[in-house]
Amino acid sequence: MLKYIFKRILMLIPVLIGVSIIVFLIMRVFSPDPAPIVLGQHATQTAVEVWRQANGLNDPIFLQYYHFITGALTGDLGTSFYTKMPVLKEIFSRFPATIELAVVAIMLASIFGILIGVVSAVKKNSIFDNAGMLLALVGVSMPIFWLGILLIIFFSGTLHWLPSSGRINPMLQPGSVTGFYLIDSLIAGNMDAFGDALRHLVLPASALAMYSMAIIARMTRSSMLETLQQDYIRTARAKGVSEGRVIRKHALRNGLIPIVTVIGLQLGSLLGGAVLTETVFSWPGIGSYTVACILKSDFPVVQGVVLLIAFVFVLVNLLVDVIYAFLDPRIKYSKKEG
Amino acid sequence: MKKIRRIVALALAVALVGVTLTACSPKKEESSTSAAPKASDTLIYAQGAEPRGLDPALVDDGESAKVMINIYDGLLKYNKDSTKVEPSLAKSWEVSADGLTYTFHLQEGVKFHDGTDFDAEAVKFNIDRQLPPQVTADMAYASFVYGSVKDVQVVDKKTVKVNLTAPSTPFLSNLAMVMSAPIVSPKALKDNKNNVNQVPVGTGPYKFVKWAKDENIVLVRNDEYWGTKAIAKNVIFKFIKDNSARVVALNNGEADMIDGIDATVVKQITDAGNKIFQAPGMNINYMAYNTSRKPFNDAKLRTAISQAINVPELVKSLYQGYSETATSILPTFMEGYDKSVTQVSYNAEAAAAAIKASGLTSVHMITYTNPRPYNSANGQALAEAIQGYLSKVGVTVKIDAFDWTTYKQKLKAGDYDIAFYGWIGDNGDPDNFMYLLAHEDPSMNIALYKNAEFNKLIAKGVETPAGPARNAIYTQLEKIAAADAAWLPISHAQTLCAYKPNIHNFYFHMTGITPLAGVSKQ
Repeated sequence: MLKYIFKRILMLIPVLIGVSIIVFLIMRVFSPDPAPIVLGQHATQTAVEVWRQANGLNDPIFLQYYHFITGALTGDLGTSFYTKMPVLKEIFSRFPATIELAVVAIMLASIFGILIGVVSAVKKNSIFDNAGMLLALVGVSMPIFWLGILLIIFFSGTLHWLPSSGRINPMLQPGSVTGFYLIDSLIAGNMDAFGDALRHLVLPASALAMYSMAIIARMTRSSMLETLQQDYIRTARAKGVSEGRVIRKHALRNGLIPIVTVIGLQLGSLLGGAVLTETVFSWPGIGSYTVACILKSDFPVVQGVVLLIAFVFVLVNLLVDVIYAFLDPRIKYSKKEG
Repeated sequence: MKKIRRIVALALAVALVGVTLTACSPKKEESSTSAAPKASDTLIYAQGAEPRGLDPALVDDGESAKVMINIYDGLLKYNKDSTKVEPSLAKSWEVSADGLTYTFHLQEGVKFHDGTDFDAEAVKFNIDRQLPPQVTADMAYASFVYGSVKDVQVVDKKTVKVNLTAPSTPFLSNLAMVMSAPIVSPKALKDNKNNVNQVPVGTGPYKFVKWAKDENIVLVRNDEYWGTKAIAKNVIFKFIKDNSARVVALNNGEADMIDGIDATVVKQITDAGNKIFQAPGMNINYMAYNTSRKPFNDAKLRTAISQAINVPELVKSLYQGYSETATSILPTFMEGYDKSVTQVSYNAEAAAAAIKASGLTSVHMITYTNPRPYNSANGQALAEAIQGYLSKVGVTVKIDAFDWTTYKQKLKAGDYDIAFYGWIGDNGDPDNFMYLLAHEDPSMNIALYKNAEFNKLIAKGVETPAGPARNAIYTQLEKIAAADAAWLPISHAQTLCAYKPNIHNFYFHMTGITPLAGVSKQ
């Protein structure tokens, strides 16, 4: 198993090199020239040329890639064209916000998704099943930005219960230890800040969780329906095992593998930044930032973010694979254990 | 045993992801105060985007300007209601008879936020970093603001002399700008590798506290401020990208002031008991004829087309009362504006006759698809409205619309009869607008207008000291431009802001800045 993990980590290297080449080429081939964007209204042709020269954009493309990749290997992803800040610093000042939102959203989505899925499967064709699947259908169909705006208008605009934007009241912001405000405020022992951060999380996390929850609920339902047909379930029931225990220990545990896969994939994509949710709720995460940088042709930042997201995605998938082995003892990753 | 091994593996994988993710979090910063201050001590201003940075030499965007104006002072500043310049860090100044030497007498006892002294050396340091050989390609405004400067001499601690290569009256206006011109602490620049984008240190009424990326910037009152001290203790600039979310934030009490709103939400804001501030805009939204080729190398034909367009009606329907119809290139509050300047007035019959006589039946228009600060409706809506007017006088219009970046490349290529553009004034000097028609760079002068007499007057205007004689030059330039009809000036967009009724003395200056020192909250 450890050998397997090590092997998977080694496999990251070709993946990251591939990703870096693709994003590098896409930005340079399809994106507009960054010089007029950076220089703004006064971008005369001379100024544009001087700027391109100064930022190495007139070099041959392979030389530019060589500079980028050698920099990346030493942990230097370059400087943002637009803000003149190191790319790593720009990314890491926003990534905790994305992680915090993604983790809370995936927790909400998993809890409610599995719950709805299990109930729907067990009470198949009942009113619960129909209501649950209707909710799931609404969840996958509803555009997230629209749901977000509705939530804002209703809970902030009309009822004034919850804040509409941001992560925390700036005057309550805890000192940054981890960058996760929920954890930081607990470390600082500041319950006001904790409550405020939680209040700020409710709307964006709910909007974001909706889609994942719908997918998880549908997957749970179909997986559970299949498992509930198995002979061992009948056997368990015949042995007199209580229905609750049959569902939890026999059916759900066995039906969990595809559900975990879906949760893993969902978490992976949420960590890549939920662009629409972040934009609607002014959530200071990596998703809306990346889109803004793509629009500004800020090559170094886009390259850096894509590399980071690829890295995180592969890691989350690795975690999912390891969880498989944990859930199903029949799955093994090395001969030695087999 | 196997189970234990599996648990170890799981724990390791979790730890790996965990370590990677937490490694991504910022290092410990100075812990902020946990006791929330009174709400009335804190002004919250919500804007639509994050500033690019807070080093005046390294940024060029309006979002940065709104924050920087509260942190820095320049040698000069703008009058509250116009673009006339007033003393600031320079309490007085003299210009030599040949217009080549500016001597500034500086305020005494002024300190930067880091405790260092503001003096003539600091002024020299700030200008020198934006002159060759120190200037870098990233300093977007350096050549605009200091392009005419030869060198800077420190006469004594409180006196500084700036020598120019040629007389330049706009130079004084440049010094009041919030780009390039504000004075930054030399110590901070030295400590931060000549880039204070993240750690601004000025002499202004507010001090920088912290910047949570994509969230907010917090400022605190500078209690040692040399001038009139600010009223509110804290200022928070919040970044709320979505326009409707920004309105909700105001109505929900999460912001005291917001900007970047449009006509569609005005009612929603006023119904909630909030107020609207309508600021005049230092900009021009125009249509340009390609004067370098047929058919519009003919001024008579340009005039005929302009005559076919009912500009006041167009502006009213397109901008719903939140843009001023342009009768001249210069906005009405600027020096050099004169009421006597008018454009050709609407007369569809006369236009149709002239166009018929010329044999013109079709034109090729290019335009942009995004809204711009000077055109909230976007270029395509504007082009289509004009297409409607021209169809009435027998001209078929082919419109090609592009996103902004592609559009600028199309402009450079020069393949169009008519194009749309606009300009946001930089320094409040009339030359800043009128020079566009004399510019050699086709990406600035999209009409490709060339007129030796016009260019001569432009050069004269730059040299002539401010006053009625200089203003007369710009009035004359306006008249030439109107007679030649290279442009059809359409509108001056206003800036719409909103604020809570308990906010007093809020204003948005026409140069796009929001000084908050005088604003109070009750």
